Amino acid sequence: MNQFLQQLINGLSIGSIYALMAVGYSLVYSIMNFSNFAHGSVIMLGAYFGFFALTLVGLPFGVAFFIAACCTALVAVLLERLAYKPLRDRRAPFLYFIITAMGASIFIDNSVIATIGPTPKTFPPELLPSFLQSGAIKIGTLDVGRIDLAMFAITVVCLVALIVFIDFTKLGKAIQATAYNMKASALMGINPGFVIILVFAIGGALAGVAGVLYGMKYQVFPQMSAITLKSFIAAVFGGLGSLPGALLGSVLLALIETFVSGYISTQFRDLFAFVILIAMLVIKPSGIMGKTTEDKA
Amino acid sequence: MSTVLELKGLTKRFGGLAAVNDVSFKVREGGISGLIGPNGAGKTTIFNLITGVYKVTEGSIEFMGTPVQDREPYQIAGLGITRTFQNIRLFKELSVFDNVLTACHGSAKYGLTEAILRLPRFRREEKELRKKTDSLLEIMGLQDRVDVTANNLPYGLQRRLEITRALALDPKLLLLDEPAAGMNPDETEQLMRLIGEVRKMFNLSVLVIEHHMDLIMGVCEHIHVLSFGCTLADGTPEEVANDPQVVEAYLGSDEEKKQC
Amino acid sequence: MGYIEQILVLIGINLIAVLGLSILTGFTGLFSFGHAGFMAIGAYISAIFTARLHLPFALAIVAGAAAAGLVSIFIGRLTLKLKGDYFCIATMGFGEAVRVILNNINYVGGARGWESLPQLTNIWVVLGLDIVFVIVTWNLINSRQGRNMVAVREEELAAQMAGIDVYRHKMIALVVSAAMAGIAGALMANFIQFIRPTMFNMAKSTDLTIMVIFGGLGSISGSIIGTILLVSLPELFRNFAQWRLVIYGLAVIIIMVGRPKGVMGGFELTPSGIRKSMAARRARLALEAEARAAERVAQQEGPA
Repeated sequence: MNQFLQQLINGLSIGSIYALMAVGYSLVYSIMNFSNFAHGSVIMLGAYFGFFALTLVGLPFGVAFFIAACCTALVAVLLERLAYKPLRDRRAPFLYFIITAMGASIFIDNSVIATIGPTPKTFPPELLPSFLQSGAIKIGTLDVGRIDLAMFAITVVCLVALIVFIDFTKLGKAIQATAYNMKASALMGINPGFVIILVFAIGGALAGVAGVLYGMKYQVFPQMSAITLKSFIAAVFGGLGSLPGALLGSVLLALIETFVSGYISTQFRDLFAFVILIAMLVIKPSGIMGKTTEDKA
Repeated sequence: MSTVLELKGLTKRFGGLAAVNDVSFKVREGGISGLIGPNGAGKTTIFNLITGVYKVTEGSIEFMGTPVQDREPYQIAGLGITRTFQNIRLFKELSVFDNVLTACHGSAKYGLTEAILRLPRFRREEKELRKKTDSLLEIMGLQDRVDVTANNLPYGLQRRLEITRALALDPKLLLLDEPAAGMNPDETEQLMRLIGEVRKMFNLSVLVIEHHMDLIMGVCEHIHVLSFGCTLADGTPEEVANDPQVVEAYLGSDEEKKQC
Repeated sequence: MGYIEQILVLIGINLIAVLGLSILTGFTGLFSFGHAGFMAIGAYISAIFTARLHLPFALAIVAGAAAAGLVSIFIGRLTLKLKGDYFCIATMGFGEAVRVILNNINYVGGARGWESLPQLTNIWVVLGLDIVFVIVTWNLINSRQGRNMVAVREEELAAQMAGIDVYRHKMIALVVSAAMAGIAGALMANFIQFIRPTMFNMAKSTDLTIMVIFGGLGSISGSIIGTILLVSLPELFRNFAQWRLVIYGLAVIIIMVGRPKGVMGGFELTPSGIRKSMAARRARLALEAEARAAERVAQQEGPA
């Protein structure tokens, strides 16, 4: 039983990272109807921004976190303005967006490899706040990693903030309206360009936080962007375009992965994610919480 | 007088909203029918239902006596119903010639192997396809623009190209979705004549969605009026023009709009 | 084998995969993140056939193509009827899944890879197959099936309304491109005599896609040029190896935003292709002249 609960906690902590990534990705998808395949590279940059803010600039941990999120938000917005907007203005076919996203991701990933280098970096424990430094705390009979706990808490805070923003503020409602129907909300006076920037910024910020957390739990390395696939699978699993779906999908995916990893073998963990994807596409492509919509002529 | 298309009790619901509610009408063989109504009345939805883009919630669609609802769009096109779109959907990067040549594909029967190995059947049928494309373009007056990229055509010619492409499939029923959108009175007049000629020359029936009243009244023999997804009136242009409900729907009244 | 000859063989091998990918992405408009997975299947099947079963190379190549093709039918069945995004994500997953699976099969060497495969590929085999496949691709594109695929790329909905079975044509493109990738994989395995799952990762898939893009979507001659450029450039870029990909990434963005039709602008480097592009240009200029003339007349006449 203990092992089971231990795995559960492990799964939840990975799930929280996936959730931040998947929610950011789903948010952009819900507005643009487009998968930002460069999302993983932004996540990776977040980890590096956080790392350097902490080690090079010597900022206190909380500030470094905040700076990382701001930087990734900026990168995401730049990406949108420089790469995607020109295509949108030309009403380019869907294919061009994917290719451009791929190009952006190659550019970012390899810029990091060429400048900073491919060797992984570890967050030096002495620079982390003191309550995160010793390994685990005991809750009942379980060992809960302090970092895992912090990740979980930070994720909850971020997601709650997001929900409050989207459901209760005027800007948030504007985002909802635009996600539902961009043309109609534009006619109502909502500036779609502004909403798009806002959504990319939020998605980017969430990616940044996810990146730092991932870097803290594991390591910081350029190939991190491959995690983008997991966030897609999580989002598809829960229902592309649905934020609660992204959250649910992430937690479920992480739990399934952890249990497969723990009880069967780590080798098959990634394979299982793919199996889940295939199963989802066969059974219910719109995801657990998705709605089936028909194309309009 | 036979019926080429019959809608019986056609209903389409999106969630709780009925975009099309219990609509029935017939298109006579060889006739030109019009489908009119305010924006959002469900006209394009009906086109999408007929062509298989949307699945029918209730009711039936019969084409030449055979039910066609719930078939794949490409099958319905193969049976003889083709359409044009409200916002022109040409193969933008292809030339005028290639747009029509592509649509002629159904007139050839050669398979993939024959194509790759360039067997005689391929060569023979390709020549036929090109001949057919040339003649269609000539009939529709586009023979001088054969090499222009579809995107570069002036608006009126783009519409004409879309109709030409629709004709390449040898349809028996042609659905035109707001063909006169964005046209001035001269162009609309030309279009009216074109529709009449096409109907005669190609021996087909036409169903037109339009807002331009001159076009509808001038070219249609039968009109079906929609409002909020329901049938408002059905009859000849004179009958419809004098129907009090139609007048009210178009000119508005003090009462709230009724949901049927 | 001489150095130049080696480069030529590599170009020739990659060309087959790139031509296939061009059919899928350039002409049908489907983006695959995991095409290297099909190369991997071809490579490993060929390795088994030649190194373990000692069967003739020709049979190995055919088997590689068939295996890749069959797997692609399976993937296609599941994903081609869904929205574009899903297909991309699924191909990404597929590419990774193939790699992970191969990593865990010790019979074929697992993650360490498989060495000392027989060298059966030479410049004549590659040249011969290249000629064959350029012709096959050309014949496919210039047929009604090929035109239908292009229609699917241009306007999927209008293509359906024009009686085109979109699903079937997407499937044709997928299977043909997968089989061709499988053949390239088989040739590769028996050329460099060593295969390892990481050789067929997402980086390889994106490499192939970049070759298609540089030459220009929708042009066979473009794909040939793109392959020649991108296989030979790394040799010149030896000293700046890490920056090569940075520049590629940037170039892709610039190409897509600026001139998606790439070097060839969607036309072919053949007599008929050049004629076509000039005719299009002439027609466009004629149209513009007409429009200007009509405007002048309207201005002169003034309001009626």
